[in-house]
Amino acid sequence: MKLNYPKEWYEKSALIEGDDEIGAGAPPVDWCAREDEGGIESRIALGQFVELWRRDKGWNAERLASEAGIDTVEVLELEKDPRHEPEPDAVYKLSKVFGVSSRKMMELAGLVQNRNPYLREEAIRFAAQASPLSKLTDVEQQSLEAFVSALTLTN
Amino acid sequence: MNESIVYLLKTENSTFVKASLFDQVTDDHLAMWNNEWVPVMKKHAGDLKLKDAPEDSHWNWKKKLAQVEHLLSYQSFALVCEGVLQGLMIVSNVRSAKIQEQFGKPVVYVEFVSTAPWNRAEINKPVKYRGVGRVFILAAIESSREMGYGGRVGLHSLPQAERFYENKCGFKRLGPESTHQNLCYFEMTSSQADLFCQNMK
Repeated sequence: MKLNYPKEWYEKSALIEGDDEIGAGAPPVDWCAREDEGGIESRIALGQFVELWRRDKGWNAERLASEAGIDTVEVLELEKDPRHEPEPDAVYKLSKVFGVSSRKMMELAGLVQNRNPYLREEAIRFAAQASPLSKLTDVEQQSLEAFVSALTLTN
Repeated sequence: MNESIVYLLKTENSTFVKASLFDQVTDDHLAMWNNEWVPVMKKHAGDLKLKDAPEDSHWNWKKKLAQVEHLLSYQSFALVCEGVLQGLMIVSNVRSAKIQEQFGKPVVYVEFVSTAPWNRAEINKPVKYRGVGRVFILAAIESSREMGYGGRVGLHSLPQAERFYENKCGFKRLGPESTHQNLCYFEMTSSQADLFCQNMK
């Protein structure tokens, strides 16, 4: 497809357009996630959980990715970027490595509807207590264990 | 891949500058999106409550393109001006018209279209370039004509852009659709496309 219009056409067209917004398209999953204002907090907690869990094991991101069978980039994006929309397959595989509920991991990732209001509170508490230091402190260790319990419980 | 020379209004000095419309988004374009758009959009959206952030601020163009790049029924467009990516669009050609007078006839459907964050008054005032939106609609119309669809085009507008499609492009508003997150569906007939191409709307 090639456009063959004179410069004058674009001159008039730009004046008609002005400063109007032009976005169009019905985005699928990420749009739904944005409706949940708790989504970002949950993803921050998810990122910290992934990072602390692997550090507790003494693994680097590459090792965790290898154990889960996913890309290293996916692990890094999960840990570092709460606005990153993770792949459902990656979240599922990580939940198997962590031995926690895949459904709750999906909820934290904003990939399925949040059915458990306490999970978000638990996630925020965890995110507030955990900080990305090189070695887990006692508080982080306890916080990680408590959050693993919350993710493992079936209800 | 075809390159069309188009023009955008550079508001800084009120001059019209050459731009290139490519009818295929390449890895280079996606790298520009990732390196130039995303940081600006994240910085802007990060300061806002999610409900107040631009409706497309979380769109991942890399993923969107990956889903359709091998499908013949989809075509992607990139608009580059002064070495910087100014807009992206994906269209498809497998949807049917909904306006009664052309009901059931094929349309080119705009799956997604966005302009760079610095071209949005909400983020950067005054905007850097004007005219990106209508260049993309012109491309969608010409694609529709090339397909033998007579310039018919359909799309679901994001809420903030409804005014643009109805008042600045001449689309007919058909109302919100629950199948598309209640976004409003707009459609253009062949005669409306003709008017658009004459800059009558």
